Amino acid sequence: MRKAMVLIASLFAAVAWASPEHGEAAAGEHGAAAGEHGAAAAGEHGEDVPGYILHHVTDSREMELEVPLGKPIHLGTLPTLLIPFHDGACTPKMTDHGEVMPGLMEGCLDLSLTKHTVFMFASAALLLITMLVWSNRDKTKLVPRGTGANLIEMLVLFVRDELAIKNIGKEEGPRYVPYLLTAFFFILFMNLLGLVPWMSTATGNIAVTLALALCTFIVTQAASIRAAGIGGYLKHLTGGVAPWLWPIMIPVEILGLFTKPFALTMRLFANMLAGHVVLFFLLGLIFILGHPGVAAVSVPFAFAIYLLELFVAFVQAYVFTMLSALFIGMGVAMGHHAHDDHGHEGHHEGGASHDHGRAHH
Amino acid sequence: MLLPPVLAASSFVSVQPGLIFWTLVTFVIVFFVLRWKAWGPILQLVQEREKQIANAVESAKRERAEAEKLLADQKTAIAEARRQAAEDTRRIQAEMEKFREELMAKSRKEAEELKLSARREIEEQKTKAIAEVRAMAVDLSIEVAGKLINERMDDSKHRALADQFVQGLAPSGTGAVSRTA
Repeated sequence: MRKAMVLIASLFAAVAWASPEHGEAAAGEHGAAAGEHGAAAAGEHGEDVPGYILHHVTDSREMELEVPLGKPIHLGTLPTLLIPFHDGACTPKMTDHGEVMPGLMEGCLDLSLTKHTVFMFASAALLLITMLVWSNRDKTKLVPRGTGANLIEMLVLFVRDELAIKNIGKEEGPRYVPYLLTAFFFILFMNLLGLVPWMSTATGNIAVTLALALCTFIVTQAASIRAAGIGGYLKHLTGGVAPWLWPIMIPVEILGLFTKPFALTMRLFANMLAGHVVLFFLLGLIFILGHPGVAAVSVPFAFAIYLLELFVAFVQAYVFTMLSALFIGMGVAMGHHAHDDHGHEGHHEGGASHDHGRAHH
Repeated sequence: MLLPPVLAASSFVSVQPGLIFWTLVTFVIVFFVLRWKAWGPILQLVQEREKQIANAVESAKRERAEAEKLLADQKTAIAEARRQAAEDTRRIQAEMEKFREELMAKSRKEAEELKLSARREIEEQKTKAIAEVRAMAVDLSIEVAGKLINERMDDSKHRALADQFVQGLAPSGTGAVSRTA
């Protein structure tokens, strides 16, 4: 969360610096439109640093190859795929911000490919290739050979032993290992792909992290229903208090259900986005201050931030997986302790997970 | 001045349903493919290896215990054999000693007996020789006496001498004389 604050602070600082210099609100306006037509903003105003950064980190329909100190090379527009729920639902509407596609509420599902979609696909493909080529899957060779096989096995074992078994338990843990492994590696590959030049981080898009958190949410609920049964699950939603308190407890519990995936969504999204924004802002400082001497400071800083981002890529994948495992473990523990459902939820879950932790030490 | 970037920031907070959809689809596909092709085999392999290592450690432990037991057995067997050998040696030595003693005693007794018999023999021979000598002396004396008698028996002086001579001989001399006569 500290990073999100750094992000906001740097955004404000950048704007405060840049706007008076150029003296035109148009820079901001272009920044606002960066989502769709940001290429022009970065191109026309070579020193519009916030606009450039926003253009870089936001999703767009265009694929382009950024050229240092030059105009980006346009590689083409991605195909549009609109699914209208009723006739004429997907006709673009004119507003004062320009052409706007109608949203899901108006009955139009926009399945168009975007930059982040493409990089998400790319990292999924890379993940599949990596796993199928470098992992040791030959049953005749029990000993892993080579860096790839060892590294993959190390991470797989880490997820299995440190995340799944420690948080969920020895009996139920192995069942959720494939899910946790997929989440871990998928997030890791998306994070790392964003650190490659000319690529972008799909996890820096809230839709992607929301989808991932949705998966964890579904798995968590399925785990708790599986462990406690549908009755126990519903009973848990009442918080185990007297019936006259239910009108208060049920909304609180339901809210509690959704805060977990929300926290997962925002944590991953903000961390990845903030890292990239800080990185670009440090480099953009050279252009904002307009003096090459700034590079002596900002380039080493940016390099340090880049290394930090490499670390954060792993840490965020780890944190997401760890919290997923923790939530699943809570759900599983809830089922095991469904009989004595008195007391308040936090205490209940805390005690249960503590028991689990102790059982596997 | 600050409003436009805040609005711009909202562009990456806006959630694109299409991207959610594609992410879900990709995630599910990746999940199933990897579970089928990667996680299953890798986890199975790891479990297999863990099992083998556990087995190996277990059997090594067992074999070590067995070896230690065997070693202890061997040690006791060796000690037993050594003890047995010492005992045998002692027993044989004792037997030998006894046998030697016996042999010594026997040979001593035999030597004693031999000595005794030799002495008896000597005694016998001695008495025999003495007897013979005595008999010879009597014969000689008788012969001498006879010759003396034949020549000058009438001489009273000689007769007395012969008498005295015969008197001087022990009664055994008479026996010997009678035997030879």
